[in-house]
Amino acid sequence: MGMISVALGRLGQAFLLLIAMSLIGFIGIHSVGNPVFNVVNIETATPEDIHAATIALGLDQPIWRQYLAFIGNVVSGNFGTSYIYHLPAFELVMSKLPATLELASIAMLIAAPLGTGLGLLAGRRSGTLFDRTLVKASVSALSIPSFWLAMMLILVGAILTGWLPSGGRGSTASFLGQEWSFLTANGLWHLVLPALALAIPNIALIARLSRSGTIEVENLDFTRFCRAKGLSARRILFRHTLPNISVPIVTIIGLQFGGMLAFAVVVETIFSWPGVGKLLIDSIQLLDRPVVMATLTVIAVAFVALNALVDLFYAVLDPRVRLSS
Amino acid sequence: MKLGSPFRPRLLSALLISIFLGSAPATPAQERGELRIATSYKLMTLDPQYANLNENTSLLSHIYERLVYQDENLELKPGLATSWRPLSDTQWAFKLRDKVRFHDGSAFDADDVVYTIERIRDFLKPPSGGFRSYVSGIKSVSAPDPLTVLIETDGAVPNLPLFFSSLFVMNRPSEGVETTEDLNAGHPPNGTGPYRFESWSSGESLRLARNDDYWGGKPAWSKVTFRVIENPAARVAALSTGEVDVADAIPARDVASLKERGARVASVGAARVNFVQFDVARDTLPGVTDKSGEPIANPFKNPLVRRALTLATDRGILVDKILAGYGTAAAQVFPNGLPGTSAKLLPEAPNYDEAKMLLAKAGFPDGFNLVLAGPAGRYPGDAESLQAVAQSWARIGVNAQPAAAPFSVFNTKRAAGDYGVWYGGTSGEAVDIILHTLLASPDPERGTGALNFGKYRNEAFDAMLARAESIAVGPERNAALAQATELVMADQPIIPLYHFHHIVGYGSRIGSYVLHPRGWTTAMQTLPAME
Repeated sequence: MGMISVALGRLGQAFLLLIAMSLIGFIGIHSVGNPVFNVVNIETATPEDIHAATIALGLDQPIWRQYLAFIGNVVSGNFGTSYIYHLPAFELVMSKLPATLELASIAMLIAAPLGTGLGLLAGRRSGTLFDRTLVKASVSALSIPSFWLAMMLILVGAILTGWLPSGGRGSTASFLGQEWSFLTANGLWHLVLPALALAIPNIALIARLSRSGTIEVENLDFTRFCRAKGLSARRILFRHTLPNISVPIVTIIGLQFGGMLAFAVVVETIFSWPGVGKLLIDSIQLLDRPVVMATLTVIAVAFVALNALVDLFYAVLDPRVRLSS
Repeated sequence: MKLGSPFRPRLLSALLISIFLGSAPATPAQERGELRIATSYKLMTLDPQYANLNENTSLLSHIYERLVYQDENLELKPGLATSWRPLSDTQWAFKLRDKVRFHDGSAFDADDVVYTIERIRDFLKPPSGGFRSYVSGIKSVSAPDPLTVLIETDGAVPNLPLFFSSLFVMNRPSEGVETTEDLNAGHPPNGTGPYRFESWSSGESLRLARNDDYWGGKPAWSKVTFRVIENPAARVAALSTGEVDVADAIPARDVASLKERGARVASVGAARVNFVQFDVARDTLPGVTDKSGEPIANPFKNPLVRRALTLATDRGILVDKILAGYGTAAAQVFPNGLPGTSAKLLPEAPNYDEAKMLLAKAGFPDGFNLVLAGPAGRYPGDAESLQAVAQSWARIGVNAQPAAAPFSVFNTKRAAGDYGVWYGGTSGEAVDIILHTLLASPDPERGTGALNFGKYRNEAFDAMLARAESIAVGPERNAALAQATELVMADQPIIPLYHFHHIVGYGSRIGSYVLHPRGWTTAMQTLPAME
């Protein structure tokens, strides 16, 4: 009973969030400019062309009516047709999702274990040279702008050494009805640099979080008791410290993963990785409203789902959460 | 966790198998005979008549062909039509090429041309656009025999063959008319061009294969892959590392480093112009004030003020510094030498003293303030040009505040009348088309002045242009256009700034690359290096 009401409450919140997001997104993209100028060639179009296109796109209607029409379409499962590509907007977003999903997943598969491990080690030996180096390195990794980091990775990994491709997705293989790069060697090769560009700031973030958590937990009574009982340092670290610091780490992994799905714009653009972030920024630039709205909706749903997953994970990780609910 | 165990080994083996299989063609792009191009042009749709944008037409010109071509000097050359002639003022006959086949094997004939014209004129609904103006003057089109097309126009249209240099010919389907959705969804594009369609992923790539039955001889490359890379630095990187053979729209600042890395570069002055345009119609203008910030009457109505600002514009800085030499200072709408340009119109060096004098004579001895608007990131050197022009105008006391905005925002605001003077750009197939849209008096009925956002009106020029447009294509028409240009430029309705250059970089597998002033990027323009 309790679970159902919690779930219903969550769904209600998610619904309100989606409504708010769609309103903000709709008004936002509306106020940027008139998409008609991107649909017709402004250098050759006649005023009649522009007028006809305005009516065809429904842009002559007042904004509230356009919004209602949009909501009506969404309820019937249709995000409209892209102004620019003339493809169904939702399908367009879904066709870009696998590229982003695999990039973000691989970046997180690198960042989460590496960041947690480094943080644990540094926290365990706080004050040592290793710890100080890690703290300094993480500060710089977090403060480097991502476009610069991406450019440097291209410069070193592709142009100077010639080891890795500078961009693009490489060859793909079909799996579960979608095209994936990580299934081919060539595709994996293309994944390395963009995944690193996404992973490096996350390694730093997770490492800092896990380091401070470790330091805190290492000073608690129960760790001292463990030590007094004669447990090995490694066992304490992995069996007792790690679970205790994992809640904030899982939270940040969830949030960052969502962020990568939605806003890996810079990395995707520089590596010309055909993902959702790049689609979103292109569509905003071209004022392709149906695609922007479809992308925002997919992103919002992904964030809600990820947050729910993170909450579930708390219960798995931390018995206290289970007990309290 | 119960679910996981029986599932996992299968997943793992599937993964291993596909890694193994996938790694066999580890470097598929290196296969001999494949041309790899990094392009800034993003193909939007597979419908060749959806939008008249270089993004689409450039890439689709591999698959579809036109009746008439424009060569590098913008002269007309036979395409799918071998010859054309006017039968009377309002009638044209086009003779078609024999033994041309579409990619699906069906023969090309006059009925396909009829279908193409009808599809554009009667069927395509907005927002598709830009092509209808080419066929709007066509009253009827018929096919008396399979290799002849007869066209009757409402009035005299001496430019009709030129218009056909922009229209891709489609194959008439067995029934009905193909919609844009049909063409985008599976339905493979079917043209007569040198390359066949293989696959397309929006915003990612376009793959083409050689059409062995091409009437013009066997195309040079067995496969062509276009990769859409919009970021200029990423295009340069892909060319530097040899991942692609050709990269278009190279920023001028990257040319030197590309050459150092062994790539070569081709460039050509674009058949287009970037300019400053004045609003000469309204009585007061937004952003235009006297030195104390009080609104003033529209100063641009006075030709002396326009002349003064023209004299105070330093085009040398724009071309040498901002475009790093990859631009030509402009005094008219096309680079000198192309058909219809005037040899007498040459860019002037700035003369600040005379400009100041003219400004004083016009009643502004102390100058005035204005906001100079423009798009950012649309044309090479656009936002920087605003700064440079503002600085040189400041020397005669005109304080220009540059206001750059994204192209879509800029357009929305310009259409709403938020600007009094702005930077713009335009292109066209021929000089008369630009004069027609940019400088002729706005007249919805005649379709003139669509880009004349400044509402400039000059009846003498309108008459000269109309006379020039009634002359058949040739030296006489070109001379009349040059004269009309001289007349209108003397009145300074716009300040032509520069014709930027298209720059394309190419690697060692390419022998040479021929650039076209219209700026298309195609495999047909490359010649493979001798191996």
